[in-house]
Amino acid sequence: MANLTIDNVKKSYGKTEILKGINISIEAGEFLILVGPSGCGKSTLMNSIAGLEDVTEGRILIDDKDVTYTSPKDRDIAMVFQSYALYPNMTVEQNISFGLEMRKVPKADRDVEIQRVAELLQISHLLDRKPAQLSGGQRQRVAMGRALARRPQLYLFDEPLSNLDAKLRVEMRTEIKKLHKKLGTTIVYVTHDQIEAMTLADRIAVMKDGEVQQLGTPQEIYDNPANLFVAGFMGSPAMNFIPAKVVDQNGTPMLELAANTTTAIPFPRPESLKSRIGETVLLGLRPEMITEPQPHKEGQEFVMTTGVEVEVTEPMGADTMIITRINDAEINCRSNPSYLAEPGSVIDMMFDTSKAVIFEPKTGHRLDI
Amino acid sequence: MKNNPVARKTSGVSKVLRIALYTVLLAMAFFYLMPLVIMLITSLKDSEEVRNGTLLSLPAYLHFDSWTKAWSGACTGSTCTGISPYFLNSFKIVIPAVAISTLLGAINGYVISLWKFRGSDLFFAALLLGCFIPFQVVLLPMAQTLGWLGIASSTTGLVFVHVVYGVAFTTLFFRNFYQSIPGELVKAARLDGAGFFTIFYRIILPVSTPIIVVTVIWQFTQIWNDFLFGVAFSGFDSQPVTVALNNLVNTSFGGKEYNVDMAAAIIAALPTIVVYVLAGKYFVRGLTAGAVKG
Repeated sequence: MANLTIDNVKKSYGKTEILKGINISIEAGEFLILVGPSGCGKSTLMNSIAGLEDVTEGRILIDDKDVTYTSPKDRDIAMVFQSYALYPNMTVEQNISFGLEMRKVPKADRDVEIQRVAELLQISHLLDRKPAQLSGGQRQRVAMGRALARRPQLYLFDEPLSNLDAKLRVEMRTEIKKLHKKLGTTIVYVTHDQIEAMTLADRIAVMKDGEVQQLGTPQEIYDNPANLFVAGFMGSPAMNFIPAKVVDQNGTPMLELAANTTTAIPFPRPESLKSRIGETVLLGLRPEMITEPQPHKEGQEFVMTTGVEVEVTEPMGADTMIITRINDAEINCRSNPSYLAEPGSVIDMMFDTSKAVIFEPKTGHRLDI
Repeated sequence: MKNNPVARKTSGVSKVLRIALYTVLLAMAFFYLMPLVIMLITSLKDSEEVRNGTLLSLPAYLHFDSWTKAWSGACTGSTCTGISPYFLNSFKIVIPAVAISTLLGAINGYVISLWKFRGSDLFFAALLLGCFIPFQVVLLPMAQTLGWLGIASSTTGLVFVHVVYGVAFTTLFFRNFYQSIPGELVKAARLDGAGFFTIFYRIILPVSTPIIVVTVIWQFTQIWNDFLFGVAFSGFDSQPVTVALNNLVNTSFGGKEYNVDMAAAIIAALPTIVVYVLAGKYFVRGLTAGAVKG
């Protein structure tokens, strides 16, 4: 187990900059997730940590040792790949023991290690099979077993669940989380699935265009996104962005909403809007903050009820998503399924802005921090 | 519904088509097999019968004398040892040449597909050009090179020529096959601590059987059947069987012994036929492997 420091790492192919100065530092035993859309450089960063690709500039430290120019095999890391990359000609047992064999571990010790890993991942009955005879989920387990057998200082997971079907993916996700709790290993995990990121991570690094947009705990990133991109990327359905005009009401800046009727709603940090009276800003409001009227919240400071016209409803079982239109933007609201919402009708919805955030529409910067 | 007139009519048409199909196929088979059949029956006749009978008439008795003579007694130029020593020469050339060119092709393909370096695609394109250079073009420069290397007119020289000429093809085969192997396999092995050659012989080579079979068959046939390099670069002792066959057919004292010529030709062609019969199905399987990988 080791800590990991990525110090101003840059990577470019000719003129194209893939990584533009990445700084991330995690403690031993932390679970870090790199998340971002495809092409954001997360896989390149992962390969750089593994030593499979050279970096152009900057340093990578594992366990406080500079490994920037160390070859992959001497970095003491293991990686689980998206395609699993199991050796097709070897049995499961040989796959797991290959890395140990390469490190000249004696046969007896290898056998002990294989048994330990096989029991841990419940693949003891598969040891004699070839990868081609395994199901997707089983291959996934073997790939993890291969990584675990060497007891490396650092584990790298490169989109390990994206080849599994939806149900299995959720199961394996929980399994990985349990495994991390049990073994307390340091893990760097790449994914483009924001739900995986939220559920697994101790800390998330949201990446875009070769830069870290925000590094923080899942809740920090969810509640307090650094910019418009992070706010829109994390969360499903995505955060609502409502273009709203800042109006002055008795000295307090408020945000104007034009739904069925035009009203102004308050905002927890009005001082950040003082200089923007008359301008339009983007109000970021998560779907769960726009609900059916809830009596216990009635009268709270940042809660306001107004009528909206229902465009479509999407029942999801636990909740029903109500889609409406405010200030010409499509808005997702999360309501109780028992709340009657006929498409085309006007119903009351409760807006809670206590956790709302404000962005500059052109640059996407947060305005209220 | 068995007497449905529409169905019967359709089956009638399809029956006619089926007959037509088999007729065409049989005609083709006949066309291709005829020369071999004629060679075989001619080789089993004695000289008298060859001169007097027609081409397609079957031999009255089976004479194996011409086979014995072709193998160990017929004259090629001034020596009368049959083609057996040359047959052996061919093996002395073919076996090392096939082995070396296949191995080199495998390593080249492995590097070009799985250890890409700056300019590796250009390197491959340049190598590919080698597939399109006609044999005749390289005759003179190759003779020069063999002279410099001091291996002119020797078995070693011929092996060298065939390896050089074969590497372009074998690299192409292996490169295309390895293209379907995910690069993550090599990455995983590198992280496991395996080096360049360890990865090659522990992980890549074991999954290469289909393409090795294809390459070996291809190279074996090419090198065994080669005449031009054989006649240009061989010494008196290192002539391959194709050259000897030519000499045998061109050497005659008095009457032409067609039966001996035919027997010698069949003997010379036998190894490639055997290779195809034994490994033919792997050949087809190997050529389509990778294209339909699940």
